[in-house]
Amino acid sequence: MGKENSRRSFLKTGLASTGLALLASSKANAFSLKNPGRDAKDARYIGQKGKHFVMVLDLRKCIGCQACTSACKVENQVPSGQYRTFVTETEVGVFPQVRKAFLPQLCNHCENPACVPVCPTGATFKREDGIVVVDNTVCWGCGYCISACPYDKRYFNKKTRTADKCNFCAQRVDKGLMPACVETCIGGARVFGDINDKHSEVARLLANFPTTVLKKAQGTRPQVFYINLDDRVTELFDTTQDLDDMVKAEQGFEREWMKVREEATNNG
Amino acid sequence: MDSMQTLISSITIAKPWGIDIPNYFWFTGSSAAAFIISSFAHVFGWKKYKPIAGISLLMAFVLLVAAPLNLIDDLRQPGRILNFFLYGWENFPTSPMKWGVLLLLAYPILIFFEAQALYRPYFVRKAKKSGFLGKIFYTVMTFGRTDLSPEALDSDHRLGFVLGAIGIPLALAVHGYTGYILGAVHANVMWHTPLMPIIFLASAMVSGTGLLILLIPFFQRFLSERHQVDTDMVAALATLLAWFIVADLVMRFLWLTFSLTFADGEKYALYSYFRLHFKDTLLIDYLLCLFIPLIIGFTRLKHIPVVVYFGGLVTAVGVWIFRWNTVIGGQTIPRTTPGFLRYLPPVTGQDSIVSMLANWGVLISLICLVLLIFPWDEEMIDCYKGAEHGQQ
Repeated sequence: MGKENSRRSFLKTGLASTGLALLASSKANAFSLKNPGRDAKDARYIGQKGKHFVMVLDLRKCIGCQACTSACKVENQVPSGQYRTFVTETEVGVFPQVRKAFLPQLCNHCENPACVPVCPTGATFKREDGIVVVDNTVCWGCGYCISACPYDKRYFNKKTRTADKCNFCAQRVDKGLMPACVETCIGGARVFGDINDKHSEVARLLANFPTTVLKKAQGTRPQVFYINLDDRVTELFDTTQDLDDMVKAEQGFEREWMKVREEATNNG
Repeated sequence: MDSMQTLISSITIAKPWGIDIPNYFWFTGSSAAAFIISSFAHVFGWKKYKPIAGISLLMAFVLLVAAPLNLIDDLRQPGRILNFFLYGWENFPTSPMKWGVLLLLAYPILIFFEAQALYRPYFVRKAKKSGFLGKIFYTVMTFGRTDLSPEALDSDHRLGFVLGAIGIPLALAVHGYTGYILGAVHANVMWHTPLMPIIFLASAMVSGTGLLILLIPFFQRFLSERHQVDTDMVAALATLLAWFIVADLVMRFLWLTFSLTFADGEKYALYSYFRLHFKDTLLIDYLLCLFIPLIIGFTRLKHIPVVVYFGGLVTAVGVWIFRWNTVIGGQTIPRTTPGFLRYLPPVTGQDSIVSMLANWGVLISLICLVLLIFPWDEEMIDCYKGAEHGQQ
């Protein structure tokens, strides 16, 4: 009986000390279902109640100038070699009927995002105005959200060493400004606004034009809408053979091409 | 040709998971398998496996202690590990990673207590024989219970049974959840199948048995006082391995036939991937690493230990390659840019070949440590003696 008691007291002491250690650590960092910023009702985390921000990309007006790409990098201090948004440039058709087609891409701020529910630290979440953001003071850099995004629009920021992506320039939007890419778009292809405001430009465009979203079958309900999106361009996404690489391989350039790629990767 | 599309320029992101992740999956899987094999004796009472149950349990423990180090190395902000425990609990139902870390904490603790119950009488005897420091150490390891009466031994046995019984679902969960992590990603055409946890479990049983086939004879021949390999046990493990391979092949058959044949439009990407890697997959992954050990286990070849060791080695390596092909291969499938992506692990730094080898170094050190601390040899010899007495 005495032996049993000694084991019990050993376990009791162990449990008590573990409990105390946990209590001490939770005092420094409060335990939370969400994350500290959301618990503190910080305006940057809550967003603008009653609004729902979306973007409409009118591809008839995009000229592939990459001004949006540059403006985004400057505004958000995106490290070199990394991008929150960019414009894919393609050629469609058969000679002589060939044209260039551009596809600006960014985080889709999905209504049902694949990235948010898998986050084990609550670092990424959807604000009340629909903007999906990442708290880079909480993110531990596991990469689960990056794997989960069907659009490949998340990446590890080289500076912060956390997941990063487009946040619709929430820091500007909260001050009543437009996102940097929208502000700079010379063709007016990027339109941003509150869809709950029936007089907004986005509401007008969505009401008057047929729009589509990327990878609808993923069930994520993207909030970035495209006007005049050519199926031939999105088909490229699922193409497992890169025509350019195939030609290079056939002509014996493959090794050289790999070398260039590696150098580019090493140089960031 | 109606039309042609050519990509002029685009950007794709670097994929997040590198060499650490397949290595981690291999470690947890092999641990789960070693635990299940130890439970054959401790829970199901199969006497045949009693001599290797203790050492299998210890291997399950060290594999699972070393495994999470891969995950920490994979994190870009490992210093924020506490954030995992403090925040984001609203995502608990939908983030398999959240379940996993809790399992990773609970499982080694449970194995440790089971091993303590199993080896307690040996610790008591060692404490009596040892000098001052040894006495203190082994007394601590007994948790203060130095009673060797039949009632006390029976109570150890019951505790071992209960912990083993709880441990079986826990072992299945600790590896099954890794399949969930991948299976839950609907953006990845290769990973997104409800079969993924089962496929991972089946291949885990294969790699774990393969590993034990290599380790146990080595321990018996070179580290045990018995200095003799139990060739009957090697043959039994070879047959067990063959049955696990059958289960693994059935799972992979179901997975590939459905995802390549009956899936929706995205099956073409998978079809293209396997066509590109057809020879490697067929010759290495299936023929060398699964079919040959399968033949060894079901034929007389299982009585030739060297052949069985070869089978164990190729299955252990083969499952590692399978983990690599699934984690890394799945990430090479394009999502928004044409063409498969390429990944070569860096040699040094975080998430590199050296960091993975360092993890293996940690595993080997831990194996040495538990072999030193736990009286596995005496327990194994006692089991063999007990079996001989039983036969007489």
